[in-house]
Amino acid sequence: MSPVDRRGFLKGSLTALGGAGAGAAAGLAGADRAHAAPMADLATAARDVNARELTQSLPFDGFHQSGIVTPKPAQATVVALDSVAPTRTALIEGLQAISAEARQLTQGVSVGVAEIDDPPPDSGILGAYNAPDSLSVTIGYGASLFDGRYGLASKRPPHLTEMPSFALDELDPTRTGGDVILQICAGQRDTVVHTVRELMRAVAGKLVIRWMLDGFQTAVRDRDPKANTRNLFAFRDGTANPDVTNAAKMDELIWVRAAAGEPAWTSGGSYMVVRTIRQHVEFWDRVGMLEQEQMIGRYRVNGAPLGGTYEHEDPRFDLDPKGDRIPLDAHIRLANPRKPQTEHQRILRRGYNYDRGVDEAGNLDQGLLFMAFNKNPHKQFAVIQRRLETEPMTDYILPVGGGYFFVPPGARGSGDWVGSGLAD
Amino acid sequence: MWWLAGIGGLALVAILAAAIIPGSHTTAAKQPFSTLAVAPHSSSANQLRSRLSSVYGSAIPASKYGTRISRQENGIGPNGQIASDLDPLPPNSFDRPVAGYIHYALGVSGQLGTAVSALTVQLQAGDRARAERAWNVAFTDYLHLGAVYGLLPGKLNDRLAQIPTHLNQTQFTGLHRVEKGLWQGAPLRSLVPVSQAITAAIPSLKRTLPKTEIDPIDYAARAHEILEDAQRDLMSGNQVAWSGQGVLGTAAGITATREVVRTLAPLMQGRDNTLVEVDNWLVRLQATFKTIRRPDGSYPTLDQLTIAQRERINGSLAGALTALEEIPGTVETVGLPNIPTIAGQEHSK
Repeated sequence: MSPVDRRGFLKGSLTALGGAGAGAAAGLAGADRAHAAPMADLATAARDVNARELTQSLPFDGFHQSGIVTPKPAQATVVALDSVAPTRTALIEGLQAISAEARQLTQGVSVGVAEIDDPPPDSGILGAYNAPDSLSVTIGYGASLFDGRYGLASKRPPHLTEMPSFALDELDPTRTGGDVILQICAGQRDTVVHTVRELMRAVAGKLVIRWMLDGFQTAVRDRDPKANTRNLFAFRDGTANPDVTNAAKMDELIWVRAAAGEPAWTSGGSYMVVRTIRQHVEFWDRVGMLEQEQMIGRYRVNGAPLGGTYEHEDPRFDLDPKGDRIPLDAHIRLANPRKPQTEHQRILRRGYNYDRGVDEAGNLDQGLLFMAFNKNPHKQFAVIQRRLETEPMTDYILPVGGGYFFVPPGARGSGDWVGSGLAD
Repeated sequence: MWWLAGIGGLALVAILAAAIIPGSHTTAAKQPFSTLAVAPHSSSANQLRSRLSSVYGSAIPASKYGTRISRQENGIGPNGQIASDLDPLPPNSFDRPVAGYIHYALGVSGQLGTAVSALTVQLQAGDRARAERAWNVAFTDYLHLGAVYGLLPGKLNDRLAQIPTHLNQTQFTGLHRVEKGLWQGAPLRSLVPVSQAITAAIPSLKRTLPKTEIDPIDYAARAHEILEDAQRDLMSGNQVAWSGQGVLGTAAGITATREVVRTLAPLMQGRDNTLVEVDNWLVRLQATFKTIRRPDGSYPTLDQLTIAQRERINGSLAGALTALEEIPGTVETVGLPNIPTIAGQEHSK
């Protein structure tokens, strides 16, 4: 998928509309385009951009699952499931059903018609055609799936454990763990909502929801096309991520490879860390600007490292050994010290913001749905996390849930399902 | 409102500059919003220099005062970054406020000792309702410690009021252990040793308090942190899981906050309008709690609050916090650091 350049498009280039998206969009956007030709007003333009974006699709099958190194669309929901399947066969039917349903939805499918006296096969909330809308359903498995229930203990991926409770965590068991994790991402909220609903129909009686959380990206509001979106502390998030287009780097940090001594069926997979981190936003908003920036180590307005001028500038910790410019306990310094001996610890973050209303005390319940991928959570994520236990920002955040999961390689085609290797 | 002050300051500088500097009218007309164009930030000819060596109420040498203050009032720090508009206070100006607070806390620790002894008596007497009321008084006194909470050694804190890590925990000490037993129907006599252990910790508290050091910045931040924590931990019920006495606990936090503000008031005089704003809000906050307090002096538990009562509490807390959050900036003790640039560090390497 090529990323859509909203601004370039809005400047008036309509010619693109008939191109890439036209095939799948014909039924969907045709009516709109017929009377949108003069394109005088932005509302119409925005609707056509939507129509075009709705036709974008990501592969479901492949060596790696989508939703890891693919671009991060605006909306997400994470669903953690527990298995109530009475037998291993029933469990595997449930897992197969997730892959089959997700494959259809991610590729776009017309809503079928059933007997008029039967419940319709699709909830239909997206209309007559389920447009792909950059949908990805990334499927992972938690350590609890490999307990004694289904005889899968011998198949447990070697680095998969329950997520430990780190020093400052207050993990709520009803928001932590799960046998299965689904990371569902798409451009529009309704696409995500629809996907959750259809997937749940497909696994009824076999898998139940343990917890779920909705996430969103802040909109692109900066001129710099490479600018990262902001978290709810208003700072750019993800700046120091490794380059996803660098295949060697991804092999070094993210992808499990059988050649490196891992079980063959896990090759092409990755370990996923999910952390639900409450951000006490009212508290944060009572902190002076300078203190905010020193806690993070970056300027809030443009994300440049303190003393620097642009977001992706190297913070040059080597020039600042005493922390005159960026305090030694600043978040960016502890998270990624940028030393040769910490290079192998780097992780690929793919977080979303969440907003789940108001708490008992009248404070906004907002935070970060932290998601990250790495080759070995114990040697990468956990090492970073323990280093961050001393950062001043800990006063303003509270990790309340999440889990460790193994995300298998992608399915090999329509007969296959994600994780089929564990049933061999 | 620092931003109002900032806008006012900018406007004033622009008007003065336009009136005084010859030829500035044309520049100003071209760039109506640019003060940089009409008012240079530093003047090599500082008129104050020959006549004055010090400026009353300031630690800045007179020779630099005009330049520094004009830059600060423009919101520009020494390195071109955003800066405060107030001259920092010398850190030792916090000695008196902190000493005043410690004196207050020592008095509170005496009251806490008395209240816990009374609690022990009621537990021994076997009257649960009276014991619960005695616990309320002791818990209030404990929360009156306010600004020193968290600065005490961890073990001492735990002896007074350890927070259990989960609700089923039984092996913990202090007021919340008594709370759990009282409201969960434990035999009252079984709680007597817990209460007596708190009494035994009071002398240690009294010895520790005079030695407690509070950093000026931390002390100024306590002014809003006490109620911030009360709202998060008490009004949510998280730390009063069994008694539900979140309103009572928050009311105690107001008392401690008022004491912090009282000790800091001399430092805030003449610095923005913070003290007036804070006082107004604290009066309103106290009035809110007064309307909720029952004739017998008790407060409703969290689940007894009506929606209207809860909204009034949430609203006046949020308003008071908005005023209190200005205190650290109002009484800051350090000028803004001169943050080096990457290029500068590269150059000097």
